Amino acid sequence: MFHAVRGNVAAVSRLLIPRNRVLVEAVRGRKSRSDPKAKSKAGRIKVPPPVDPVEMLVLKERFTQYDLIMRALRHRAEFKEELLWRRYQEEVGTLAEERAKQEAEEHQALMAWNDAENQRLRKLREARIQKELEQKELRRAEAAISRENQMETFVKEKEQEVLKLQEEAKNFITLENLDQQIEEALDNPKNYNFAIDKEGRVVKRTVLQ
Amino acid sequence: MPRYELALILKAMQRPEIKAVLRRTVETLLERGAVVRELQSLGERTLPYKISKHNMRHTRGGYFLVDFHAAPSEIPSLLDHLERDVDVVRPTVVRKDEQRNVEPCAGLETGLGESRPLHK
Repeated sequence: MFHAVRGNVAAVSRLLIPRNRVLVEAVRGRKSRSDPKAKSKAGRIKVPPPVDPVEMLVLKERFTQYDLIMRALRHRAEFKEELLWRRYQEEVGTLAEERAKQEAEEHQALMAWNDAENQRLRKLREARIQKELEQKELRRAEAAISRENQMETFVKEKEQEVLKLQEEAKNFITLENLDQQIEEALDNPKNYNFAIDKEGRVVKRTVLQ
Repeated sequence: MPRYELALILKAMQRPEIKAVLRRTVETLLERGAVVRELQSLGERTLPYKISKHNMRHTRGGYFLVDFHAAPSEIPSLLDHLERDVDVVRPTVVRKDEQRNVEPCAGLETGLGESRPLHK
């Protein structure tokens, strides 16, 4: 068999391609368009939904009438003119004017409300700022008083110091009383090698070596 | 001017010589613009250890305290001068500022000290 087709490879490959292959299978198991009717549905007869002849008649009549009326309306010039007129009124005529007026009034009212609100908030704010300023002033005054007090105590302290120093300066050593002071110091040697109790009394004393 | 205390150890000498050295020292202080408040003698004592100074070996020395105010810049030169003095064994200068707002010691009256005796 193969020797018969030797030399014609293209024909052989075409022969080997399966015939009814599905190119793109969207859903697995679904039938393609050309597949025959299923065996189980072989005897099925399609019956359209039943229609009531009376009702059908009435509906048809009514639809005809409606269609007639609508067509008449759509094509009558008067009606068209009325429509146009109404639209014109809506857009530029008295109605528009009225609407503009209403909008202006609403705007005015809103602006008035806005101003009133601003006024109210302004009053609140001013009251708050006033209060804050007063508190600040109070604080500053207190600080000034306390600073003054501090300065006063400081000056007093320094004055006390100066007075004390002046009092002590009488016993300072100068060239004039130097010899006398040296004599005094040598005559009264001090000894700080002692222990004291809580009341400050000397408890124990170390003898000088 | 800050307050200083000069702890001066002189070599053991007789009273007139000691007087001369002290006079010399205080005059040096006054020359440098110091204000001398007080001069105290702590007597002659045995040194805690032998000190060699100016090629001499000292075992005893006279202790003196000088309380004075001076400019801080003068202290190094003063010490330098005292180091050169052959009768001075050891000069020491320390700051002596008055302490302020010293809180009294709470002692053992409060806290754990009372409930737990330190010595049995």
